[in-house]
Amino acid sequence: MTDPRQAQGAGLSEAQAIERAKQGDAEAFEFLYNLHKRRVYSLCLRMTANTAEAEDLTQEAFLQLFRKIGTFRGESAFSTWLHRMAVNVVLMHLRKKGLPVVSLEEATEGDEETPKKDFGADDPILSGSVDRLRLQNAVSRLPPGYRSIFVLHDVEGYEHNEIATMVGCSIGNSKSQLHKARMKLREFLKTSRAEKAG
Amino acid sequence: MTCAEFQRELPDSIDEGGTAEFQSHLKVCASCSGLVASLESIAQEARLLQASEEPNPRVWNSIEIILRQEKLIRQPDSGTRHSILPAFRQKWGVMAWLVPVAAALLVGVGFLLYQHPTAGQPAARQQASLKAAAKFAGDQSDEQLLQEVSARAPMMRAAYESNLKDVNDYIRDAQESVNANPNDEEAQQALMDAYGQKSMIYEMALDRSLP
Repeated sequence: MTDPRQAQGAGLSEAQAIERAKQGDAEAFEFLYNLHKRRVYSLCLRMTANTAEAEDLTQEAFLQLFRKIGTFRGESAFSTWLHRMAVNVVLMHLRKKGLPVVSLEEATEGDEETPKKDFGADDPILSGSVDRLRLQNAVSRLPPGYRSIFVLHDVEGYEHNEIATMVGCSIGNSKSQLHKARMKLREFLKTSRAEKAG
Repeated sequence: MTCAEFQRELPDSIDEGGTAEFQSHLKVCASCSGLVASLESIAQEARLLQASEEPNPRVWNSIEIILRQEKLIRQPDSGTRHSILPAFRQKWGVMAWLVPVAAALLVGVGFLLYQHPTAGQPAARQQASLKAAAKFAGDQSDEQLLQEVSARAPMMRAAYESNLKDVNDYIRDAQESVNANPNDEEAQQALMDAYGQKSMIYEMALDRSLP
């Protein structure tokens, strides 16, 4: 994979690119885009499980960022600012679509997610590392509410208190949703491995 | 601690270690430790999904068009901007004539349109000039541009093709509105904007987006 800093920057640092972008420099905008496009696009794709929507949301996140770049003072990391903006763009999109950013099942599920009798049986996940492609497919099959929390916590690395603020739920709810998401993924991965073996 | 109690505590404790009781059960229960290990494995592998996908080049293409439309991307000062024609020739070789002509033509179309009909330039004559100019900067020029894009940056062809199609649709719609209401200033402005966008696509191809 080409490092965008080397591919385009020719010694340009992110801070310099930000200053040049504030002056309307086209190359600086493209440099910043190339630096962060994969992280933003991957976030949008994982959260929506839809390529076209992910492209639109990536575009929207970067446009919002570039429109406000004049106000960026550097107190926080630029990447933190951008990623938070991207998360907000995606969550807003999910809300507009009427999709739950926190699973609606939460209030009624009770102990439904308690592992079944077989959980202690030979666990296929333990017999080898999780295949990235299968995990990717499994994540796309998660209900939107579970998927959001899983992506924000396990993929993007946000803490439960940050997720609770962004999504508008309690910390306990975030932990519970994450656990259910992982349990569902485990189930999906087991099934897909069994299908592959069969 | 029983397995059921352990499982109830799991969402709160799996990432934070849990109580001593939780840890003790984890050490002695193969079933629960197997479950925890598989969940931890999923969480660990999930990090590999971060920044794992590359967006289509058309995403940047679209962003750039909007940034230019909104004037967030500005042309460098004239003092620092070199004459563009030699650069075009160097970059585009024998096809160098195509893009500046098309871009200038498109801008010219915008100016033509923006002027209200006068005694010396009646509306009918102005429309005829417009049609001739639009024809010159139409399919043939677009096809030549796309051929150049294909030759120099094949990955970008689809993005340019899609953008040209969109802008040509926009021009056609705006043109129909102008034809229906020749004195409608909004329709005229829309047509000028449409040609402005097309000019921008040509400018982008020349300016920086192509290697």
